[in-house]
Amino acid sequence: MAHCERASKPLLQCLQKSYTKGLPGLQLQSTRAFQSTARAREEAQAEAPSVPFHKAPDPSLVSSPRLERRLLRQGISPIGSRRRRVALQGSPNIPFEQLPYQCFQEARKVLLADRDEKVRDITAMSEKIARLQALPTAEAGGEQVKKSKLRAMEIHLEHLKILADSNDPLVKKKFEDGQGDMSKPIYRFLADRKWREYRRKILVQRITQMNVIPDILPHCDPSVDTKLYFGRSQVQPGEFVNSMTSTTPPKMDVQLFEGGERLVTIAVVDPDVPNVETDGFDFKTHFLAVNVPISATSTKVDLAQLSADSQVVLPWLPPVAQKGSPYHRLSLFILEQKDAKPLDFAAVKAKETERDNLLLRTLQARYHLKAIGAHLFRTEWDESMYEVMKQIGYNDADMELRRKKPERLPYKRRNPSTMR
Amino acid sequence: MRPLSPVLASLANVFRIPISQTPTRPAITRITNEALKSSSPTTAAAISSARTFSTTNALLKRKEANKGNQKITLIRYFLYHPLTPRPLRFSRTRYLRHWTIHRAWNLYQANQRRKNELELQRQWQAMQSACEELRVGAGDGGKLFRKSMIKTGVFKDLFPIEYGRLQTEGPSAEGWNHEWKRS
Repeated sequence: MAHCERASKPLLQCLQKSYTKGLPGLQLQSTRAFQSTARAREEAQAEAPSVPFHKAPDPSLVSSPRLERRLLRQGISPIGSRRRRVALQGSPNIPFEQLPYQCFQEARKVLLADRDEKVRDITAMSEKIARLQALPTAEAGGEQVKKSKLRAMEIHLEHLKILADSNDPLVKKKFEDGQGDMSKPIYRFLADRKWREYRRKILVQRITQMNVIPDILPHCDPSVDTKLYFGRSQVQPGEFVNSMTSTTPPKMDVQLFEGGERLVTIAVVDPDVPNVETDGFDFKTHFLAVNVPISATSTKVDLAQLSADSQVVLPWLPPVAQKGSPYHRLSLFILEQKDAKPLDFAAVKAKETERDNLLLRTLQARYHLKAIGAHLFRTEWDESMYEVMKQIGYNDADMELRRKKPERLPYKRRNPSTMR
Repeated sequence: MRPLSPVLASLANVFRIPISQTPTRPAITRITNEALKSSSPTTAAAISSARTFSTTNALLKRKEANKGNQKITLIRYFLYHPLTPRPLRFSRTRYLRHWTIHRAWNLYQANQRRKNELELQRQWQAMQSACEELRVGAGDGGKLFRKSMIKTGVFKDLFPIEYGRLQTEGPSAEGWNHEWKRS
C-alpha cells in the first residue's frame, strides 16, 4: 500500500461511507436537472465492475505501485499524481458542469443564455451574408460596395463566433491543457492571444535588434507562430546553433491562426557572407521552397521531407561561418503566396538557380509574396565547423579571416610648441 | 494597539500566545536593525573598536550606508508579516468555477449597463421627436415651439427640489434626515 494511501485511508473510508449514504439521491436530482445523458453514464458505471480492478486498472484511478508498474509496462502512464488518483478513487466524479454549487450553476445559466443569443446572432448574420451574396451586383450598389459590405459582415461573423464560446469554462480548460481543436475559431483566437502576449514580442524584438528586418526585408509583421527544431531540440529565435546539428535541415512548426489553407514560400537567407574583395557582406540563400501548404491544423513542416520535384527550389545548404568572421544570421522567412495560388514550380526552378546574392526583396516583388512569419538562428565558427566545411566542399575552409590593422596616423606631439 | 480579529484571537488562545504582552506589529526600525546585525556580524565589533579613536558619529555614517531600499524593506515587512493573510490559492476546478462566476457577473453587469444606456437613448429620442412634432406639426409656424424653448427666467422664482442636490441612482443609505433644520 502506498504511503499516501495509508495516510488517507481513514479519511477515505469516512468519505466513501458518507457518499454511499448521502450523495446518490442528491446527485441524481442535481444531474437530472442539467443533462439528459447522466442516466446512461451512471448505468455504464454500474455495469463496469464486471472485470476486477486489478485485472484492468484504470490509469486515472490506479494507486498501488504494483499496478502502476504493470500499466507502465503496457505502455500506459498513470494520469496525475498518486495523491490525486487516491483522492479520485473516493470521489463521486461528477462532471465539471454539473457540480452542485448554486452560484456556479446560476452563473452557467447566465452564460448559456448569452451563448444562445450569440448563436441566434450567428445564424441571422450568416443568413444575411447569404442574402447579400445572392443579390445581383447592380442592386447591391456596385462591385466595391458589395465587396466591402461582405467583408465587414464576415469579420463580424468571426467575432460573434469567438464571443459565443469565449465564456465557456470547459473551452478554457481544454485550451490550458493544450487539447484545443485548432479547426475551431475560439481555440485559434486563444492561441493567437497567448502567442502575442510573449513569444511574438520576443521574436519581433530579436529580428529588429539583430537588424534582420531592414537588412533582408523592409518590413515584416509576423502573424503565424513559427517554431524551429534541429533534431528534437527547439531553437529560440536568435540562438547560436552548433554547426554539426545544422547540417541536417530543420523541422518547423508553423501555426496559422486563421481558417483555411495557405500556400507559403519558405526561404532561409544568410546576409552575412564576408566578401573580401569589396570589404563587405553578401547574401546567400540556404534554402528555398515554394507551394508549401499550411493550415491551422496541419502545422508540421519538415524541410527535409518536402518533395524535390514540386516544392524545393534550392535544397538545404548547411550554414558555415569562416574562422574569424563575425556571426552569421540565418534568417528564415515564411512568405504567403498571393490568393493561395500555387507558383509555377518549373519556372521558378529554372529562374532561381544562383544561391549567391539572391535578394529576398527581389523574390518578394517577382512572385507577389508577403512575409507572414519569421525566425532566426545564428552560426559562428566552432570546433565542428571545419568538418562541416570539408563535408560540403567549402573552398576556403583553411582560410582564417583577420581584421586589417588600421594604418597608424602620423605622429603628432601632444603639447606642440604653441602650447608650451 | 489594534485589537485582533476574533479568529486570530481564538487561535492565539488555542496556541497559548499571550496577546496583550506583544505589540501586534513590531517596529520596523527594530526589524531592519536585526536584519543588519544578522547580515554583518563583524561590522558591529569593528565599529565599537573604531569608535574609541574616532570623534565622528559612527552610527550616523553606518545608517546612511546600510539602509538599502526603503520601499523593498517595507514591502517585505508587510508581505511576510504573520498577520498578512496567505495568498488566495484555488484548485483547478475551483479556479474554473470562480472564473465562470466572474465572467457571468461581468456579462450581467455589461448587459445592465447596455440596457440603461439604451433606455436613456430611447427617452432622449422620444423627447426630441416630440419637440420636432411641436415645431413642425402644430401648424403655427413653430411659434409654440420657439416660445417653449425660451429659457430666460427659468428657475428664478422657484427651484425644483430634485435639483437641490446631486442626482443619484438610488436613495441615500440613511434615508431622510429628520433632524435637519434650516439654520
